[in-house]
Amino acid sequence: MGVVHGDLMTLNIGPQHPSTHGVLRLKVKTDGEIVSEVEPYIGYLHRCFEKHCENVTYDQVIPYTDRCDYIASMNNNFGYAVAVEELMKIKVPERVEYIRVIVAELNRIASHLLALGTYGLDVGAFTPFLYMFRDRERILDIFEALCGARLLYNYIWVGGVSHDFPNEFVETVYSFLDYFEPKIKEYNELLTYNKIFIERTADVGVMPPEVAISYGVSGPNLRGSGVKWDIRKNETYSIYEKFDFDIPVGSGIMGTVGDCWDRYYVRMQEMVQSAKIVRQALKTIPAGNVHQALPKKIRPPKGFIYKRTESPRGDLAYYIVSDGSPIPFRLKMRSPAFTALSVLGEISQGWMMSDVIAILGSLDIVLGEIDR
Amino acid sequence: MTVDNLINWFPFGAEWPVITFVTAVLICAIPVFLFIAVYALVAIYGELKISSFMQDKVGPMGQGVGLHAGKWGLLQPVADALKLILKEDIIPESADKKLFILAPFVVFVGAFITFAALPFSQEIIVADMNIGVFYILAVSSLGVIGIILAGWSSNNKWSLYGAMRSAAQIISYEIPAGLSIIPIVMLTGTLSMQGIIVSQQGIIWGFLPNWIIFNNPFTFIAFFIFFISGVAECNRTPFDIPEAESELVAGAFTEYSGMRYAFFFLSEYANMFVVSGVAVAAFLGGWNSPIPGFMDSPSWGLFWFIGKSMSLIFLMIWFRWTFPRLRVDQLMSVCWKVLLPISFVNIFGVGIWNLLVG
Amino acid sequence: MSEDQDKYIAEVVEKALRGDMDAINNIEDRVTRSKAKAALIKAKRLSKTAAAEAAPAEETAQTDTTLTEKSLNQKVAEALAKKFSGSIDSEDVNEYIQLNGKNWFEIAQYLKDNPDLLFDSLQCITGFDFGEGEALEVRYNLHSMTHYHAIEIRIKTDRNDPKVPSVEQVWRIGDWFERETYDMYGIVFEGHHNMTRILCPEDWEGWPLRKDYETQETYHGIIVPKVKEGWE
Repeated sequence: MGVVHGDLMTLNIGPQHPSTHGVLRLKVKTDGEIVSEVEPYIGYLHRCFEKHCENVTYDQVIPYTDRCDYIASMNNNFGYAVAVEELMKIKVPERVEYIRVIVAELNRIASHLLALGTYGLDVGAFTPFLYMFRDRERILDIFEALCGARLLYNYIWVGGVSHDFPNEFVETVYSFLDYFEPKIKEYNELLTYNKIFIERTADVGVMPPEVAISYGVSGPNLRGSGVKWDIRKNETYSIYEKFDFDIPVGSGIMGTVGDCWDRYYVRMQEMVQSAKIVRQALKTIPAGNVHQALPKKIRPPKGFIYKRTESPRGDLAYYIVSDGSPIPFRLKMRSPAFTALSVLGEISQGWMMSDVIAILGSLDIVLGEIDR
Repeated sequence: MTVDNLINWFPFGAEWPVITFVTAVLICAIPVFLFIAVYALVAIYGELKISSFMQDKVGPMGQGVGLHAGKWGLLQPVADALKLILKEDIIPESADKKLFILAPFVVFVGAFITFAALPFSQEIIVADMNIGVFYILAVSSLGVIGIILAGWSSNNKWSLYGAMRSAAQIISYEIPAGLSIIPIVMLTGTLSMQGIIVSQQGIIWGFLPNWIIFNNPFTFIAFFIFFISGVAECNRTPFDIPEAESELVAGAFTEYSGMRYAFFFLSEYANMFVVSGVAVAAFLGGWNSPIPGFMDSPSWGLFWFIGKSMSLIFLMIWFRWTFPRLRVDQLMSVCWKVLLPISFVNIFGVGIWNLLVG
Repeated sequence: MSEDQDKYIAEVVEKALRGDMDAINNIEDRVTRSKAKAALIKAKRLSKTAAAEAAPAEETAQTDTTLTEKSLNQKVAEALAKKFSGSIDSEDVNEYIQLNGKNWFEIAQYLKDNPDLLFDSLQCITGFDFGEGEALEVRYNLHSMTHYHAIEIRIKTDRNDPKVPSVEQVWRIGDWFERETYDMYGIVFEGHHNMTRILCPEDWEGWPLRKDYETQETYHGIIVPKVKEGWE
């Protein structure tokens, strides 16, 4: 429309790059500094998880689900276990439900810390990255005491969990929460309300809610655009209805609704809410045997199920088809980061090169989940 | 010890002027070069340790005074320097070889020759020109050519991006820097560095040293404008878009490795010292002691000058690890829409203040 | 403990199972009463598992509370039958609606725009292979963000020449989901603007998730390792 273009320069933000959050290739067509098209190329981490699942038994699938979204493994396991349990109509003991919610929310905090820390790194703030990782280390230490692993837990099994709490676990978690909640204030002072950070992220990469829904975006990305949708509240599963927590929604405080700052802020607030949930759960956790309902052999009846759960990145769903044998017939994992990445091309048109990196960081993608 | 003094000192100066001149220059230049090298090692070590403490890390450890047991890691910068010297020298095949090799030298020369006019002490200055400040501002722009050469000759789109951004940034920020020096010149009436410093001797209001920064509110603001422009000229965060690691890998210097990269690195730190040195000389009293009469003799001048410059460099390091970085267009708008008008206002303000009060 | 007590407890449990809880509540001895209550719980559990085992083998994941969902599926099926005749393949719409791929694009737009249905969110596209030599299928999970209801649509297609109309223009996420299904199953979505592989490399041969998939021998001269034997 009357704009003069020179030749568009094609740039490659290649698979190896300090800030693409994994092996991702972006083909960017720019006119000087202004980007006119971004095309993501994925598949560098594709291990065909779904084909593997057609060859192993139901409980052997759980370590595979760990490795899809390796930053929030507990939530992956959780989603899978809940889906198979609903297919088999197993009811797990109360204690197991409470334990699952506690570890899932702690993992949500850890995942958000990583997302926000690396986002600060993308826009040039080196220090909050290290502060957030320092706090994430404490959560990983808690998990190591619980199940022996720091990143890939294989903890939530179909029908229960693998280990019960060790001694003094509840006190450790309480002391972590007491240490962590004032840190949010520190992060806010250092990064969230920093004028330069606001200039870099407010009004940048605005995602209108219709675009978000059409592209299937979910989780903090969707809530940043003002849509109040959280599967823990809207299609509740496990015992989330017993807890009292809010759903933070972006409202354009610093700029437009649905910009990068809103998505960042929603994640920040979600950490506060997760800490609240963990506190409530720890107070009322009942005693019990966590291995009570573990089935000896997992043979779901013939049928299918599509079960959605809320992972830190959004709406994680498993579509499982069972033909009565101990091996899944078809298992599809619908990953939230897959849809989040697909919207990148749409919302980064017209912005500058540095903004593309900022927008990509705000979408919080994990390539393991996208490529499976 | 200036070149002039040395030339006068030589017994046969009148008979062999060229050789005398060259020898005098060499005798003055080599200590400066050694000073830059040692200072760079100290600054790198300082940056590592200070950044580590700010980020709740421990930084380089061991290699202490007793080796293996200390918590200071003092040999770390030496190890870094050795590593850079011994690295393989890679030149990309499709790069423009001559320009590729030339670029680091141009950048370094641009940083190095400004040291000629820095007043280290009352008697230590390589060339006591009567246009000292003007010379420094003019010559420090030479580095831009080197950066553009580096970006272009690498034959790499990322380097080109970085070089273009860097060139735009440095050239733009020269203007507020220069304009903030003008109030100094107006107040002191001289462009010579030693002259500016000499005019800052004494005490005002009974206890404050007679530094120009305390002279009137406009020069106070001018100091900050000069310092911010200086940080931008050194490509330091929050203005380090040209080397933004998370976007452009290493910007204009992506293809450089080993000793050539070491030269770029060295010139960045040298630039930092120049900027701090000029700020100290122009605004903070140069080699004068803050408490006149206390440690005031000419031999202490070196200590004060380097000490004050180092504290400004500490401030630059502090900035780097605290702030996120500005985007290119925001950087430009800060320069042209904010710093430039304020520096104009400063010039008028200082003039009017001088008329009314001084 | 004693046999009389056991018989007495069994009696009151029988009564309670039929709905008469007074028999248990009126027992005076606290110990016996608690034993009776425990026995009642056990009996209820046993009867439930017996009932589950006796249930037909075709148990699906839908529970009784999906009465409204059943009527949703039926509602949608009726509306589709009226508007796009001949597109519904199967009469059984309890869990999913089976379409035959004709007019799928228009049906998709109708599902999205109709104010009663408003399925504005495509949650997932799953490819499905019934087995070697059998048909392929594409399954769509739709969800509405305004009415909060969900539905599943299935479209069968022939194994040797699988073609399904693309819904990329209706739900923008269809773009990548369809590319993934194409990559894994070889189902071509007509009308897609860029039907290329997304996860595997561009020049990979074969459709990995099909049941009769054999990995190729070499790829660009590198030998592709086979699946190890004796995995389970």
